[in-house]
Amino acid sequence: MTIETPEFQGTHLWERLCWAKEKLEPYRSEYCIVWEDPNDMENPAKVTHPDPNWMACALQGGILPPVQSYWELKKDENKPDFVKHTRGPELLHNMKPIDAMTEEEAIEYLIMKDIPETVWRDWDKSNKPKMVICKKDQLPGTREWRNAWQISEDLVINNEVAA
Amino acid sequence: MVAHGTIAFDTLTTSDQVNTGTEKSIDTSYVFNGVAKVWNNINGTGTIAIRDSFNVGSITDNGTGDYTHTYSNAMASVNQANGGFARVNSYFGFLGGVIDDTFTTTSMRHATNRHDTMNYADAVIATVTIHGDLA
Repeated sequence: MTIETPEFQGTHLWERLCWAKEKLEPYRSEYCIVWEDPNDMENPAKVTHPDPNWMACALQGGILPPVQSYWELKKDENKPDFVKHTRGPELLHNMKPIDAMTEEEAIEYLIMKDIPETVWRDWDKSNKPKMVICKKDQLPGTREWRNAWQISEDLVINNEVAA
Repeated sequence: MVAHGTIAFDTLTTSDQVNTGTEKSIDTSYVFNGVAKVWNNINGTGTIAIRDSFNVGSITDNGTGDYTHTYSNAMASVNQANGGFARVNSYFGFLGGVIDDTFTTTSMRHATNRHDTMNYADAVIATVTIHGDLA
């Protein structure tokens, strides 16, 4: 059964998430994002997994704010005199929610929301990619050497997925 | 405001006749302020996975026993309170801090550790609840 999203512009994002938690089935994506932070090269590759409830919101549409809202919040937070967000209503709750995304679009949104810009802005402009979208079954099968994980320098990139 | 089943009120009052007979009141905003704004229950072993959650965007596996939870609805400030629990395979576990990195308004990073060596270890169950004010 198709569930119609109420008109949520102007509704607190928290309330929208409460609605989604009650109404939508969580969606477990097969994708994850492997990335290396250029500012943290001593550490192993990180792996980001989308939250199933968040993914359901992204696929449903009409719930989440544009990703630019999070960038603006980050800019505010990075100011030296930052104490507390004052633009939450403007950026999160009153901004027109974005339409439904495909799973691939949702992953791209999540990258731009949750992964540092220094990783995704020019992910393929160095000796090897700083970021790869892959399926979970492509990750190593054991965590025995987890702290030695790195993105392979011989990686063959399928741009249809990763671009 | 979501239209389904909404009751709008500012104060909850009880006569508390059964116990003390003394009327008690509480402001509903006080109730809301005390609610956990984020919670997450993850399996931090193998290919890590979120079992269930609220107000989470993603979980990042930073390495052995090192995780970052990101939020959908940002918190107002970095002054948040976290409660958590971890069970590490075959050992007692605990939730620990990560050097120089804990809260942003949109994320929380923590470690899970063995109780005996204090070393980072992957958690079979790690849970976090975040309290504080929403942006």
